[in-house]
Amino acid sequence: MITVDKLIFEYPGLRALDNVSFQMNQGSITALVGPNGAGKTTLLRCMAALDRPVGGTITIEDIDVLEQPRECHRIIGYLSDFFGLYQRLTVRQCLHFVARAQGITDSDCPAAITEVCRRLHIEDRLEMRPDELSRGLRQRVAIAQAIIHKPSLVLLDEPASGLDPEARHELAELFLDLQRQGMTLLVSSHILAELEAYCTDMLVLRKGCLVEQVAVKTPQHHKPFKLLLAQAVPNLADILTQLPDIELLKTEHDRLALIRLTTDTQHQHAVLKALLALNLPVCEFAPAASNLQDAYLQTIRQRP
Amino acid sequence: MNLNPEFQRQLYLECSQARLIGIPAVLGIIFTFSYFIDGYRLGNATAKAALILFMLITLLWGARQAVDSIVEEYRDRTWDIQRLSALGPWEMAWGKLFGSTVMVWYAGLLCLFAYGLAIDDYAALPLLIFYSICAALLVQSGSLLLGLLAVRRGQTKSGSIFLLAVIGFLSIAPWLSDVSNLTSYALPDSTTHWYEMRFSSGDFHQISLLLALFWCAVGNYRLMSLELGLRATPWVWLGFSVFLMIYVGGFMPGSAYAFWLAAFAVCGTLTYVGVLVESNDAMRIKRLLTYFAERNWRRGSEELPIWWLSFLLLLPAALVLSLSEHPLREFSLRFHFYPLAMVLILLRDCGIYIYFCYGKNPQRALSMTLLFAVLLYGILPGIFNTLGQNGLAALFFPLWADSAGGALLCALLQTGWVSSLLYRRWKANS
Repeated sequence: MITVDKLIFEYPGLRALDNVSFQMNQGSITALVGPNGAGKTTLLRCMAALDRPVGGTITIEDIDVLEQPRECHRIIGYLSDFFGLYQRLTVRQCLHFVARAQGITDSDCPAAITEVCRRLHIEDRLEMRPDELSRGLRQRVAIAQAIIHKPSLVLLDEPASGLDPEARHELAELFLDLQRQGMTLLVSSHILAELEAYCTDMLVLRKGCLVEQVAVKTPQHHKPFKLLLAQAVPNLADILTQLPDIELLKTEHDRLALIRLTTDTQHQHAVLKALLALNLPVCEFAPAASNLQDAYLQTIRQRP
Repeated sequence: MNLNPEFQRQLYLECSQARLIGIPAVLGIIFTFSYFIDGYRLGNATAKAALILFMLITLLWGARQAVDSIVEEYRDRTWDIQRLSALGPWEMAWGKLFGSTVMVWYAGLLCLFAYGLAIDDYAALPLLIFYSICAALLVQSGSLLLGLLAVRRGQTKSGSIFLLAVIGFLSIAPWLSDVSNLTSYALPDSTTHWYEMRFSSGDFHQISLLLALFWCAVGNYRLMSLELGLRATPWVWLGFSVFLMIYVGGFMPGSAYAFWLAAFAVCGTLTYVGVLVESNDAMRIKRLLTYFAERNWRRGSEELPIWWLSFLLLLPAALVLSLSEHPLREFSLRFHFYPLAMVLILLRDCGIYIYFCYGKNPQRALSMTLLFAVLLYGILPGIFNTLGQNGLAALFFPLWADSAGGALLCALLQTGWVSSLLYRRWKANS
């Protein structure tokens, strides 16, 4: 369990984090989203014990990060938005240094390097220097550095920026693989569509405040349905609210409606039957595609 | 073999095959040349060349390597990777110090070897080796310390830091040359008086050198600890201030006044040094006040700026000096020694520097402060003095006042004004 409680961080004349509190479950992949300057990188740096906040506490697996930063470093991996690679060393030497610096013995280093390189598909680049690699490959080497010691929490700042779609897909697969191995991930990104592929939770930061924490992939008892009519029907909202067991979320131009139904298919069938019985010109009735971007925009709009 | 990872990384960077072969080859050519100058034997020219090369290599190149071992990390944005490692501060510090200078020592030891072959009298060789190695270690360790301070201040250019290392070289090189000359004959039988005790000067120098090395190592450990996020109260600075007071006080003629004068000078200097070397961050003071308001004394003391400690030690010294009768109270007819007024002037100077640090261009804080110092210490009082307005001159430079009370009042006015400006800027920043 990771707990952040009343975290306050200030730059001269600016409160970058304002009483930020949240919890993350073990094994979750949490998306950290928010506009530029919302405090995402500051939050990650505080959690990695790289920056010291003015107030608040951060606890990772019962370790008080602000009290025991070195102990915290043993159990976390951190990928910064600039990769932090040694340009004058080969990939093998970079990984060997990080592995040794994280306490892996010299004899265990080759196995650790081989394993992490296999996972990130960089086995054939071990003798190259980072400045000879493409951005995507440098990114992979940086991720390899962050996870070589198998940390329980991995903090990733904009891991997919500058990657091509194929590399992003591979990254998503890698994150899911890390999750399956029990690691907890906190991923900051602007590319919400990419986060959707693997995130279980979402934290929304805005102007240093935590706006919302939502579970993105949890078993749901209700889900939104989109109802589209062939032509507008006057007072559509009134008609729909009279129907039992449905919750009207919104209507647009008396032609489009968003309603919430239970996940029971028999109930969904009954609602459709009732709609047709009312002689409504239904041309589309289907689960509404709700994605992370919608959730994010909805949150941002609701809480200006 | 489980080598120190940072040391091993530095070995990867430094120990290239080209260097391992190139360095002895270049040195070999130089010594062959000196061999010809000496008349086909290894003699005086070779010994001198070896010693000069040793100094150049270990003091200049070594200092540069030690500074770059940390500043380069910061510049290349790899420092966070190191801070996130599980390495302790001591491992990190010695890994950097000895790893970055490994080729320096490789070349330096070859020079010492050539020196050993070229001299005739081996009796004093161990002493020269001791001084050479300790002096080089001191400069390199001091350079690492400067590099760490630069990183804490967010400075990414190593040029200005290297300049300080060059000053170190220029101070040590002539001294080492003297030692080498003395070793050719016999060391003079001089003594050093320290607190009524007599020491052989040679022994005293050696112990002093080792103490300087010790404090450099402690300083590196402490700064590295802070960089790695370890929390610590500033007892090291306090300890160093007290040590320096006692050490310097020992050289003063035996009276309580002389000791307090030394303490006053040491603490005053350390206050200036402290305010210059640390990063003056407005948020740090906010954190400090927050912790003190929460009665979290330990956390609060961790945030204490080191110059506050030297300043606190300065106060009793100033008080004792103010209450003592001594000829030093008046330097001349116009210029007086008012310790309490000097304390306030020092506070004013620190306030001016921090005021500029909190501004939009903290990089220019030092140059702006020096500019103000020229105005406040020289130009303005000078103008009024020339005009015969001694009272107005004292307003800017209180030591020109006729009485201690007047000087104190002038200093208080200046300090109060600077403090109010500083407070307003701090509030705007925090």
